[in-house]
Amino acid sequence: MLSRVANSLYWLSRYIERTENLARLVDVNRYDSLDGSSLAESEVDDSNAFWEPLLSVTCTEEAYAEEQEKSEREIDVTWFVTFSGSSGNSIRDCIAQARENARMVRDQISEEMWLELNSFHLFMQSEKAETLWESQPEDFYRRTIKFCLLFAGLIDSTIRQDEAWQFIQIGKYLERADKITRLLDMLAYQKDPSRMKLASALRSCSAFSAFRSEYRGEITLNNVVGFLFFSESFPRSVRVCLRHIDDYLHAISGSQVGTYWNEAERLAGNTLAQLNFSSIENVLEVGHHEYIDQLQTRFNRIGECIFQTYILPPVPVDSDDFVSEEVIERKQQQQQ
Amino acid sequence: MFTNYQQEGFFDEMFGLPGAYAGPLDHYTLVHERLNGLKPRELDEKQWLVNNGFLEQGITFTVYGDDAGTERIFPFDLLPRIIPDAEWSHLEKGLKQRIMALNTFLQDIYHDARIVKDGIVPVNVVQEAAHYRPEMVGVDVPQDIYLQICGTDIIRDAEGKYLVLEDNGRCPSGASYLLENREAMKRAFPDLYRRCGVRPVDNYPEQLLKTLQYLSPRPGQEPVCVLLTPGVYNSAYFEHTFLARKMGIEIVEGRDLIVIDHCVFMRTTKGLVQVDVIYRRIDDDFIDPKVFRKDSMLGVPGIMEAYLRGNVALANAVGTGVADDKVTYAYVPDMIRYYLGEEPILDNIPTYLGWKKDDQKFMLENLKELVVKAANESGGYGMLMGPSSTEAERKEFAIKIKDNPRNYIAQPVVSLSRHPTVCNEHLIEGRHIDFRPFILFGEEIEIVPGGLTRVALKKGSLVVNSSQGGGSKDSWVLRK
Repeated sequence: MLSRVANSLYWLSRYIERTENLARLVDVNRYDSLDGSSLAESEVDDSNAFWEPLLSVTCTEEAYAEEQEKSEREIDVTWFVTFSGSSGNSIRDCIAQARENARMVRDQISEEMWLELNSFHLFMQSEKAETLWESQPEDFYRRTIKFCLLFAGLIDSTIRQDEAWQFIQIGKYLERADKITRLLDMLAYQKDPSRMKLASALRSCSAFSAFRSEYRGEITLNNVVGFLFFSESFPRSVRVCLRHIDDYLHAISGSQVGTYWNEAERLAGNTLAQLNFSSIENVLEVGHHEYIDQLQTRFNRIGECIFQTYILPPVPVDSDDFVSEEVIERKQQQQQ
Repeated sequence: MFTNYQQEGFFDEMFGLPGAYAGPLDHYTLVHERLNGLKPRELDEKQWLVNNGFLEQGITFTVYGDDAGTERIFPFDLLPRIIPDAEWSHLEKGLKQRIMALNTFLQDIYHDARIVKDGIVPVNVVQEAAHYRPEMVGVDVPQDIYLQICGTDIIRDAEGKYLVLEDNGRCPSGASYLLENREAMKRAFPDLYRRCGVRPVDNYPEQLLKTLQYLSPRPGQEPVCVLLTPGVYNSAYFEHTFLARKMGIEIVEGRDLIVIDHCVFMRTTKGLVQVDVIYRRIDDDFIDPKVFRKDSMLGVPGIMEAYLRGNVALANAVGTGVADDKVTYAYVPDMIRYYLGEEPILDNIPTYLGWKKDDQKFMLENLKELVVKAANESGGYGMLMGPSSTEAERKEFAIKIKDNPRNYIAQPVVSLSRHPTVCNEHLIEGRHIDFRPFILFGEEIEIVPGGLTRVALKKGSLVVNSSQGGGSKDSWVLRK
């Protein structure tokens, strides 16, 4: 498979997964914000304070602050995370990016995948999207989540489960692992998150019932972190994500699980082993934040190593400016 | 629907020569009857169905000069253009003859240039063509074929006679619309399509692939063919992915290819894979920064050397742009006589050449009645439409012609045939059309029975280009 195609498939899949996580997160938080009485008093005073963690999970604090500076009215955080074009990471942007990547590999994906993605993109770009969001936000987010699930189903049932598919899977699980650790970081950051916050976190990973069947007792921070990190069977636990990443990396290279042929495989295997043989006690030893930080660094490295191994063995690039100029020039020439 | 239809003195594809109303021509009877029985609301619904289908499938082109990269659909008209079998056979013979002559011409001018030595075509006409490539002199191309894919534009004059308007021998586009328009019509009018007895066009991608594979420099091995695109921002990107998918070949960008030891490889997740045949949708100018434009980011450094050494085949060959030149065009009838010893089956539009003294004099005296064209422009640019021009425009062109006579030609205004077309408010009116069939030259010459019919949607306009308000129709070639 062409390296560029592998790259596009990987990002297509990451952006869809990102969309789904974002939509769940916003929807759950939005629902909770309705329940003002159970919020701490300071939070009621300033509704946007309630939303700050959401910006931090989506890495859009800066973009939000910038946008806010330019605007006279207070910008609604849910609107920002859903529609804003300035962060490049809103739900609408993610869909547009996914669709742009899909356009580049249209010959590699199924007709159904393209049709569904393209019509959802057209919907997101239309006025209908914001109208629906204003009148029935719950419907809006449900529709978004449904689209992502449908798309995942199409990936599983309409294309060959070959190398292209393996890159798609890696993109999905890496994105998922990353978003879950961010969510946990946000939780741990609040000194003593309320039961409601913990329950919300679980629901935003669609993990509430699954959690209940593993942990019967009280919902505590350690239980929630333990579950989302180490559950052996929940498809959104970091451990399960890593297991898939490890499997698919080996499927691509053809090497045996438990061995490694490249740095990406070594890192994935190493991280998986750590998760397989750890528990919440190990997290507490180093502290929530540090533990999560280490993991995130690992995920980033795995992504970089995949890129270096399969997409573009390093070529000299002078600076970022050079790259962006090249992109602009390429764009101009294509239009001739 | 046709109650108030006005033919207005033009040749009409559905009603034939102007004159007393005598009903639709035989081969249009069924379509006329079906459309006449349609209510305006039904027509609207069908149009919506088709447009929405195009939009959802992303069958769009990119509008330039717009940062948002707006994508539009190519307007599609529901009334099919119909060509009866006898007319098609005539066209097919004429087009095959023409591509034979043009291909021989290209082979000749890059080798012995017999046609120049024998005084049929002047040397400056060949060598001053903007797309003449001295790099190709003495180079043998695979199977001696230069024009693997040619899109020839054809019009009909006031008498309904088919004439050749121009040959597109570089990277003609539109084949995907030919196929998608057919799909749209089959969805919108399934019963009508079936009853009319239309010849299918869906094997175009297979024929195209066969044409490409025939060029492989490594016979005996399964040829690795790829389609080289300028990228996702190109206006024809949809067509590129469409054709690559239908042929089952990789679509690559310049950065996916690398030349090592004068062979071309593509970068894959499993390492480098050698490429045999490249269906390139990038013009000569951009294909190799080492040889042509130095600033090209779209091409592949070193690919020309690999090509000249015969390690990779390009379709179309480098240097075919000479055949697109509007001055070369004027000599095609002579080429047919010279190389094939035959009379042209399809005529040209009479053409006056700026570099010929007498012709130039005639051009300058009759600017108001003529269409003046720059030899190397396309897409309806660089043109003077005499009858609708202003005094100032004519002066400007007179200077241009005198300054650079080689670069200008003139033709009488041909009143393109018209075709009933759905216009605003479900009104059916006559609009001018042309026709672009696609000719494939491989082991044999193949032409899928059909083509792209372009229609000038603006009332009275003769410009059919999509960039200037043109739309398209499905073209039905009948079994009989």
